Amino acid sequence: MTSLAHPPDAPPPARLTIDVSELPTTTFGRRNLNWWGTVGFMAIEGTTMIVAAAALLYIRGNFDSWPPRPILPPHLGVPSLVLLLLLVKLVPAWYAIDSAQRLDRAASRRWMALALLLGTAATAFRLLEFDSLNVRWDTNAYGSIVWTILGLHTFLLVFDVLETAAILLLLGDEERLRTKHYADVEDASVYEFFLSLSWVPLFLLVYLLPRIG
Amino acid sequence: MIQRLPQSALDPAGPAAERIAALWDFAFWTAAVVYVVVIAALLYAAFHRKRPAAVPVVDRDPRTERRLLVAVSGATAATVVILLVFFVVDLGVTGAVANPAAMHEHSTVSRARHEAPAGALRVKVTGYQWWWKIEYLDSVPSRRVTTANELVVPVGRPVAIDFESGDVIHSFWVPALHGKRDLVPGRTTRLTIEAARPGVYRGECAEFCGHQHAKMALHVVAQPADEFAVWYEAQLAPASVPADSLRRAGMHVFLGKPCAMCHNIAGLPASGQVAPDLTHLASRRTIAAGILPNTKGHLAGWILDPQRIKPGAKMPPNGLSPDELEAILAFLGGLR
Amino acid sequence: MAPAPGDPHEDERLDEMHERLARVHADAPGLWGWLTTTDHKRIAKRYVVTAMAFFVLAGIDALIMRLQLARPEGGLVGPDAYNQLFTVHGSTMMFLFAVPIMEALGLYFVPLMVGTRNVAFPRLNAFGYWTYLIGGVLLWGAFFLDVGPDAGWFAYVPLSGPAFSPGKRMDVWSQMITFTEIAALVSAVEIIATVMHQKAPGMSIARLPIFVWAMLVTSFMVLFAMSTVATASIFLAMDRLIGTHFFNVAEGGDPILWQHLFWFFGHPEVYIIFLPATGIVSSVLPAFTRRPVFGYPAIVVSTIATGVIGYTVWVHHMFNIGLPVLAGSFFTAASLLVAVPTAVQIFCWIATIWTGRPRLTTTMLFVGGFFVTFIIGGLTGVQIASMAFDAQVHDTFFIVAHFHYVLIGGAVFPLFAGFYYWFPKWTGRHLGEGLGTLHFWLFFIGMQVTFFPMHQLGLDGMPRRVYTYVDGLGWNGLNLLATVGAFTFAAAVLVFLANVAWSLRHGARADADPWVADTLEWATSSPPPAYNFAHIPVVRGRSALWDRTPNDPIVVGLSTKRREVLLTTLLDAEPDSRHEHPWPSIHPLLAALAVGVLFVGAIFHPAAVLVGGALFCAAAFGWGWPRKKSEIHAIEHALEHGHAHHPPAAPSRRTA
Ligand code: HEA
Ligand code: HEA
Ligand code: HEC
Ligand code: CUA
Ligand SMILES: [Cu+2]
Repeated sequence: MTSLAHPPDAPPPARLTIDVSELPTTTFGRRNLNWWGTVGFMAIEGTTMIVAAAALLYIRGNFDSWPPRPILPPHLGVPSLVLLLLLVKLVPAWYAIDSAQRLDRAASRRWMALALLLGTAATAFRLLEFDSLNVRWDTNAYGSIVWTILGLHTFLLVFDVLETAAILLLLGDEERLRTKHYADVEDASVYEFFLSLSWVPLFLLVYLLPRIG
Repeated sequence: MIQRLPQSALDPAGPAAERIAALWDFAFWTAAVVYVVVIAALLYAAFHRKRPAAVPVVDRDPRTERRLLVAVSGATAATVVILLVFFVVDLGVTGAVANPAAMHEHSTVSRARHEAPAGALRVKVTGYQWWWKIEYLDSVPSRRVTTANELVVPVGRPVAIDFESGDVIHSFWVPALHGKRDLVPGRTTRLTIEAARPGVYRGECAEFCGHQHAKMALHVVAQPADEFAVWYEAQLAPASVPADSLRRAGMHVFLGKPCAMCHNIAGLPASGQVAPDLTHLASRRTIAAGILPNTKGHLAGWILDPQRIKPGAKMPPNGLSPDELEAILAFLGGLR
Repeated sequence: MAPAPGDPHEDERLDEMHERLARVHADAPGLWGWLTTTDHKRIAKRYVVTAMAFFVLAGIDALIMRLQLARPEGGLVGPDAYNQLFTVHGSTMMFLFAVPIMEALGLYFVPLMVGTRNVAFPRLNAFGYWTYLIGGVLLWGAFFLDVGPDAGWFAYVPLSGPAFSPGKRMDVWSQMITFTEIAALVSAVEIIATVMHQKAPGMSIARLPIFVWAMLVTSFMVLFAMSTVATASIFLAMDRLIGTHFFNVAEGGDPILWQHLFWFFGHPEVYIIFLPATGIVSSVLPAFTRRPVFGYPAIVVSTIATGVIGYTVWVHHMFNIGLPVLAGSFFTAASLLVAVPTAVQIFCWIATIWTGRPRLTTTMLFVGGFFVTFIIGGLTGVQIASMAFDAQVHDTFFIVAHFHYVLIGGAVFPLFAGFYYWFPKWTGRHLGEGLGTLHFWLFFIGMQVTFFPMHQLGLDGMPRRVYTYVDGLGWNGLNLLATVGAFTFAAAVLVFLANVAWSLRHGARADADPWVADTLEWATSSPPPAYNFAHIPVVRGRSALWDRTPNDPIVVGLSTKRREVLLTTLLDAEPDSRHEHPWPSIHPLLAALAVGVLFVGAIFHPAAVLVGGALFCAAAFGWGWPRKKSEIHAIEHALEHGHAHHPPAAPSRRTA
């Protein structure tokens, strides 16, 4: 890449130069700066989840039974449905990444739309999910921590749905859509993987731990 | 450091505090030597050569750099050794002071759990904003003694204390006898102290606990075993209706005012539990959690307006006529 | 960069280049530009000025505390005021001064040192500053209204909980924590991404300046530590505001849980403050000893090791809650272990000075002050890592002495060293050396006189956080001495402020590289232009400027129509792609205000969370929603032909 040629934007001549004008402006994955931003936020949110999980385990030590009597263990119906939706959402997320990397607008829109649909459904059922806990946040520390974990994840879920919607809007707006925005499609979908997969251990903690004591 | 201070960790009067004071001597001198050596090296490094160079010397002489490497590695190794020695010494002391049985034998064996040594006096101390409730535990309920802010102990006998808190976190600390122990709501923590010689040892709450954290002191009064036994028997006696008329009038003032809602006086219809037990108030050296000498004048000032002495204290000011005050002081003065 | 010889048109072309870049990177004029800027240098300077203002305010708190403690039964302030004073002093110094100012140095110098045009995610950077400012104003506003928090900087529950701290005071504290943690977190993400990907070609990971390493490790620590405390403070806020029971013993909560969460953050926090300071020391030493720092690999490994081990020691703040000896010993061992990497760094620096040619400028005086002071604090740190000894001195003035020695010795002395070193880069003028020397000696003497006696006070039994003490305990003289020291400190800080004021106008002018230093920030003018470098430099060694040769290549081909930066690969820094940074925008400010509505409002009504959340979404949409392509072309065209000076920052009506 080192050359003695004169690139178009008039560099000093007679000087070794590295001409970067041919380098791509749209990259994916680790090569993409924004991807690292997303990873950073995943690290922050992941830490928050781990702290909440640690708090749950710590608080559990203060009770003889888990859930504390006479609270019933949470129902599993709606929560399992939400978990399922979140996991199924990974399919469109996967294909959204793939189509974004191919810069395939139609496919990206399709998959993002499906992801949005599933995300919206998951969020809607999620709001019902709080009822399944069988406890209020202000009943005792058990209620506080399970509500908080569920609430935290719901909060992220809502933002994710909004973000997906915004990106979908952009994909439909030819006046604004530029190549580099495909990287955002990828980014958002990578984040969905984080959001769905991080729910699995939290789900186990919130829903299955009370059933095994 | 020779000067005797009432609340100094460097003037130990018990085996645990002694071990810790000795540990401090060791830590201080080690640190002092390390410090002097490092700073001497720094000063030599800075001043041994006087010609500042203008151009940076990027290509270093490999022999010098290798010598530096050896020096830095050596210094690091020395640091590790010093830290290791310190760790071992610390383990010995920490294990010993946590385990009163071992302390007597100067053994370095440590047991992970705190166990009250055989023959220990058992006491429960509960922290409140901003005073200490002290209960001497005894398997016979009628032989339990409750008092406040003044822990009387026999010399030479371990005192195993259970700590609890009635509100926020406090920390029990009598530097002359031992390190501190936190009083945490919802748990019981323990510490075994021992006084090696008679004396009055001052302590103060060490964990910030709100407005009057600064004025939450206490005294440990160490007495020879026989004196302690006398004191203990006296404390077991309930109060009775005083014969003296002024005192009796004072009792009626006390019982007629809200005092009895908060304070307990065994033997009289005053059984409040949210304030210091006053059954033997007059036998105590101080009032208001170790802040004021227990004199008539201070007592009067306290009863009339505790908020002036300890702003925020959980005792309201009391409007008393001079006669009422006089009577109540006489009554309280009789609570021996 | 060194000019290439022999071409008469070289200068002309460079001027043209500068002009174009200047147009592209210009902020809008006036207030609007001030509110919308995303220039890392402007934002970092803002952080520095704001943090210094908080330092002075918290310092004045300290002076009032010292006056109150100057004699027994002092009557200057009552317990209520005193408790607010130390809480606000400690919280401000930690959350609004020490951490942000170190982040600020990182935000200013990391992009310059790695040779790029701006920090990654410039709008996030603007957002971070505004949230920080809101948090600080909230705390101090409350303090001036006499509703300042009063439960200490670590706000132990249950004292700070709903039962024992009714009112809004502790809500203010917990929300302030959240604001400043958001700011710290986004800065950390920015710095990490910048170091990962925006390094100049050739600046492989093995050639990163040590300061950049320190900021990188710090940023990783921030990610985990600040997330923890933000979560904890939200638990506390929920306990206080909506009746959860995280810390309520009666309902299965636990006050010790708070201590674990706080100190799992709190100990790393002190290295978050200290590590950047070590980076400063490693930055200034080469310039003033005329040699690269000895032991680059050792220092880098030590920095990383400190960051890692720093997460394993937190329980040493909780030695007296009744831990089993065995558990406690583990944390003693870890605390002793963490001293080793610090020792290695100190030895490497001494070796550097030993074989270098030290110049005793004011900067170096402060570096000297750092050694003399910090090592005392480090050694007392080792002592209090002993459970037995800590049982005596925990929560006494001995600890107050320890942490002021490490914080002021380990962070404030290096910070001032950094100020004297970098002031020419910031302003194009030197700070006065005469006033600087006076500043140093007053500061140094003030330091020792204030805090050395506190060791003895602690051993003599004086607990911390007491608004007064009774006569006759033997504490009077040393307390008075400490008060005298505090005013010496104040004089020193005044001298410094005077020096800054004077030097801004009359200081000796500085050229690009007044110290003949070795890192890339000195390769561009003082102060640097908005775009930092006309041509991204290419790096050939650890001492970027000392190792360069006249024939080093430079980077060409980055757009002069948009704010393009060069992305390079993570380890080897090979050119990899071009990335467009966004134009300035008002939306970061709006988003920060929305966050303000959310958290401040939540103190008064939970519904504010929804309102603030909705406002935030609106602001975030405006933030991320791109312009029309036609509009972009128009802007780029205008910029290329020099018509429009600053359309990019103008409000974008379409996105409102
Ligand atoms: C910049 C901040 C900073 C730094 C760098 C440190 C560094 C260290 N700290 Fe400190 N610490 C604080 C800030 C800091 N601390 C604060 C703010 C608190 C109190 C919070 C509060 O309660 O409000 C605190 C409290 C604190 C405690 C709790 C005390 C208590 O509350 O009872 C402990 C206990 O172990 C401790 C230990 C240490 C240790 C072992 C180090 C080590 O990292 C030190 C290592 C350095 C050296 C050892 C010196 C250099 C080395 C040499 C010259 C080589 C030779 C050395 C030897 C041979 C030993 N610190
Ligand atoms: C980086 C952190 C930092 C810094 C720099 C300082 C700096 C100082 N600190 Fe502080 N301090 C803490 C962090 C810090 N502190 C923490 C975390 C606590 C614990 C809080 C708690 O317990 O919760 C604490 C607690 C603390 C206490 C203990 C309070 C108590 O427990 O009762 C004391 C007491 O002396 C004290 C004193 C000082 C002094 C005198 C300075 C001096 O260095 C200050 C020097 C600065 C000035 C004096 C400002 C001068 C400027 C002017 C005068 C300008 C005049 C104005 C104009 C012209 C506009 N600090
Ligand atoms: C609302 C509760 C309350 C009432 C009513 C009350 N007190 Fe108190 N009193 C306290 C508390 C709490 C303390 C401990 C205060 C402290 O030291 O911080 C205390 C302390 C004292 C002490 C000091 C005890 C010691 O050993 O330190 C005396 C004496 C005393 N009260 C007497 C009285 C008298 C006499 C009255 C009535 C005229 C009275 N109190 C009414 C709550 C009360
Ligand atoms: Cu009780 Cu401090
Ligand atoms: Cu620590």
